[in-house]
Amino acid sequence: MKRNMKQAAWRIIIGASLMAGGTSLAVAHHSYSAFEMAQLKTVTGTIKKFDWTNPHTWIWIDVVNDKGVTETWGIEGMSPNYLARRGWTRTTLKPGDKISVTLHPLKTGENGGTWVDAKRPDGESLMMGGAITDP
Amino acid sequence: MKSARRIRFAFLAAVVACGTVAVGQKVARKAPTAEDWTALAKLPDFTGVWEVGLGGGGGGRAGGRGAPPAAPAANGPAANGPAAAAPAGRAGRAGGAGRAGGPSLTPAYAAKAKEQPAGPPPEENLTANCLPPGMPGIMGQPYPMEFLMTPGQVTIVIEAYNQIRHIYTDGRPLPEDPDPTFYGTSVGHWEGDTLVAETVGFAQVPRGITFPYSDKMKIVERFHLTAPDTMSIETTIVDPEALTMPYSMPARTLARHRNWTIAEYICEENNRNFVDANGKAGVKLANPNASAR
Repeated sequence: MKRNMKQAAWRIIIGASLMAGGTSLAVAHHSYSAFEMAQLKTVTGTIKKFDWTNPHTWIWIDVVNDKGVTETWGIEGMSPNYLARRGWTRTTLKPGDKISVTLHPLKTGENGGTWVDAKRPDGESLMMGGAITDP
Repeated sequence: MKSARRIRFAFLAAVVACGTVAVGQKVARKAPTAEDWTALAKLPDFTGVWEVGLGGGGGGRAGGRGAPPAAPAANGPAANGPAAAAPAGRAGRAGGAGRAGGPSLTPAYAAKAKEQPAGPPPEENLTANCLPPGMPGIMGQPYPMEFLMTPGQVTIVIEAYNQIRHIYTDGRPLPEDPDPTFYGTSVGHWEGDTLVAETVGFAQVPRGITFPYSDKMKIVERFHLTAPDTMSIETTIVDPEALTMPYSMPARTLARHRNWTIAEYICEENNRNFVDANGKAGVKLANPNASAR
């Protein structure tokens, strides 16, 4: 349900940017052409490190692959400036936390991607594009 | 003796000439008086921290309060919308003349737009390398801006990329031959409750305009409050060489967030994105321990 809402929101924004004509809509920092935006992948593992940094947060997760080998995944998220106004803090993700992150993978095939959403083992959903919590 | 005097005269003349040029570029600021501060208090109060509504152009929900997750916000693909992120001088889909609601290009600039590579709109933007977007793109970032008002000046502190714009309202004219810069040089005046800012002198950098433009381009912004905590910014691009008529961008609507402060945004802190010399985007994953905080 949440995913559908998110996709609908994207459609609205894309439409708005088309209507904007000769000028572009806000682009925060970069295009997403380094990522396979049509693909979704979910990785489950343990938070190794959470970079609360600009221009993007980075979530580093240790994931045990199907050969039993631990690989570190790097996942790009929104900036701390953006997230701090939407309920996140620098300790929302702590080393050792278990998490499943859905991402758009890097086109290079490296262990990385851009954050779509995530779930904790208790089912709590972690969105990056939620409503402003600090009006 | 005579020639020495002539040389001295020539030297003096040169000094005076240089001085005139220097004065032409700079305006001496007089110390504000109590009357200046009183006059300022009668203007509409733009001070405080504002954020553009999601949807950018359309005057969507101010501030995005309660809005669904949106593209630039949600780390999702809409930030990569077709009209977005076109480097300056390359035409996006809106680059042709005569498109309803789009810019109407002169024949010469329509030809320039056609010369640009066909196919999908350019996606890459040097902001990935931490170069800030210029005007008017910087005014549409999904980050807040703080307006400061002092006698003779409105200052806009832009959180994205830690940028600052200065709009001089002390009556000085626009510079005749400004150095081209990311944000240009701005002067402003008040028309009733509306601040009208005019900006000239743009370098060819990515600035959120998807049609080719000339060095004669002028950006006119009209700032006014439509409600106590709602601001509208109407932006019109005038370019006698590139456009057959002024091109008005969809108005931007900003919401004032009275308990927000501007945060630091150091793009170089932990930037793992890049665009290489061929315009290809990539991500550097190596060395996860490199981040500054």
